[in-house]
Amino acid sequence: MEESCSINIWINEERSEKLAHAGLAHLTKDVLAGMKILPLHCTKGQKDRILKLYPMAKYDSATTKSIELLPAKVKDKLFDLIIEKKSLNIIEEFLKDVE
Amino acid sequence: MKYTGHSGKEIVERVLPPQEAKKRIKGLKRIAVTDRVARECIDLAYGFFTPLQGFMGKEDVESVCQRMTLTEGTLWPIPIILDIAREEIKQKGIKEKDTILLTYHDRNLAILEIEEIFNYNKLALEQAVLGTTDLKHPGVKMYNALKDTFISGKVTLVNELKFNSPFAKFWYTPLQLRKIFAEKGWERVVAHQTRNVPHTGHEWLMKGAWFSANGDLPVEELKTGILVSCIIGPKRVGDYIDEAILLGQQKLHEAKYFREDIHMVSFILWDMRYAGPKEAILHAIIRSNLGCTHHMFGRDHAGVGSYYDPYDAHRIFDKIPEGSLNIKPVRILEWWYCPVCGEVTYSGLCGHTKNRQPFSGTMIRSMIQDKVKPTKLIMRPEVFDVVMENADKYGFGSPFCTEEYLKKRQAVFELS
Repeated sequence: MEESCSINIWINEERSEKLAHAGLAHLTKDVLAGMKILPLHCTKGQKDRILKLYPMAKYDSATTKSIELLPAKVKDKLFDLIIEKKSLNIIEEFLKDVE
Repeated sequence: MKYTGHSGKEIVERVLPPQEAKKRIKGLKRIAVTDRVARECIDLAYGFFTPLQGFMGKEDVESVCQRMTLTEGTLWPIPIILDIAREEIKQKGIKEKDTILLTYHDRNLAILEIEEIFNYNKLALEQAVLGTTDLKHPGVKMYNALKDTFISGKVTLVNELKFNSPFAKFWYTPLQLRKIFAEKGWERVVAHQTRNVPHTGHEWLMKGAWFSANGDLPVEELKTGILVSCIIGPKRVGDYIDEAILLGQQKLHEAKYFREDIHMVSFILWDMRYAGPKEAILHAIIRSNLGCTHHMFGRDHAGVGSYYDPYDAHRIFDKIPEGSLNIKPVRILEWWYCPVCGEVTYSGLCGHTKNRQPFSGTMIRSMIQDKVKPTKLIMRPEVFDVVMENADKYGFGSPFCTEEYLKKRQAVFELS
């Protein structure tokens, strides 16, 4: 089975409202003392392409199984796409746009 | 006043006044040293490594590796060594009994009275200190990068250190700290070692350790303090910038999460070996030289990857001879957030194990990276604000080390 990998987008109040409008608020996850994330799942291939595009980012295989240290602007762009498409299935479109 | 350090030896400062230094360095052969060696020269000269006053010779290195003691029997877990290329020794005609001048960034740093020039098997050293020779271990990488020969001898600083802001206000030598502790009336001092911006998990580690250290002392007049002793050494991309660590820790008492009279922040210069339990012993020795009576050890202290069990650094204190260390370890499990209790709580007390939400350094860094302010249950808002403020001031826009920061950052200290 392919190892799951995610990009965790932290949800503040502003993002929370946008998610509610897009009907996606139920997809967030409470992870620490009320702090919520929106986990954006990606395949191994997508993970590798993201790490190649953003060499400062790291895959945390030990604890969170997520891609960390992505620039905030990248996360903003991913989030905006999610809201626009009203879907979490946006990684491929994001990659096509930036590659 | 004389102060006693590790193994009952007096803390001695080996720093020459400028006029004498000028005379002593005249005509000496010069060796340029690395960042690590420069930091360790400073540590040696100010007594952080008491009873050591210089870099170790072969017998001491061997004894440390095999028995975790110096040849005279003092507990010591990690060799303190100065490496040099055999070629340079040959070229400069350096020999035992010579006194040489160590330079750092083309400035005079210290004189070294050479006692011995020797070789040591680096693999044996790695195995003894780190318990592995795996090339992925950062300590192995550090040892592998050492040059092929070692020189031992006493070190004396010949130049004044000038710490840049904000480091200057957090730099205290062991003798200075002893005086400050006495002025504050601290009879017990618990050390908190860190390389992190504090989240509330760290805050509660300190609070829990304070209770342990204070123990049977009267509480009407507080005589126990917390010394936050940050480690300043080499940085990697993704680490918190040093400035944010120091100022974030300082903010905890400025914003009154700790009383100012029981909490202070300082730093030591040290290159982590990630030697887990052995490094825990070394950290305890250094903090005992600073005047601390207790040292907290959390999960996986000085560990990396899965090379050590998370509590090896606790258990090693059961294996050392009684009386060999003048500081008590305070052993701590994890603090976590419990949604049932609705608070940050101690894993040794809270029974809602299935509901726990552990603090993860990675997770909190990820929030900060996204510029999403954590709730005050996770990170104090004042700490977050100071971290972001200093990201702009010192970190080229990031609270984490970037390639740009590593290239352009201001030096921690300079030599005149």
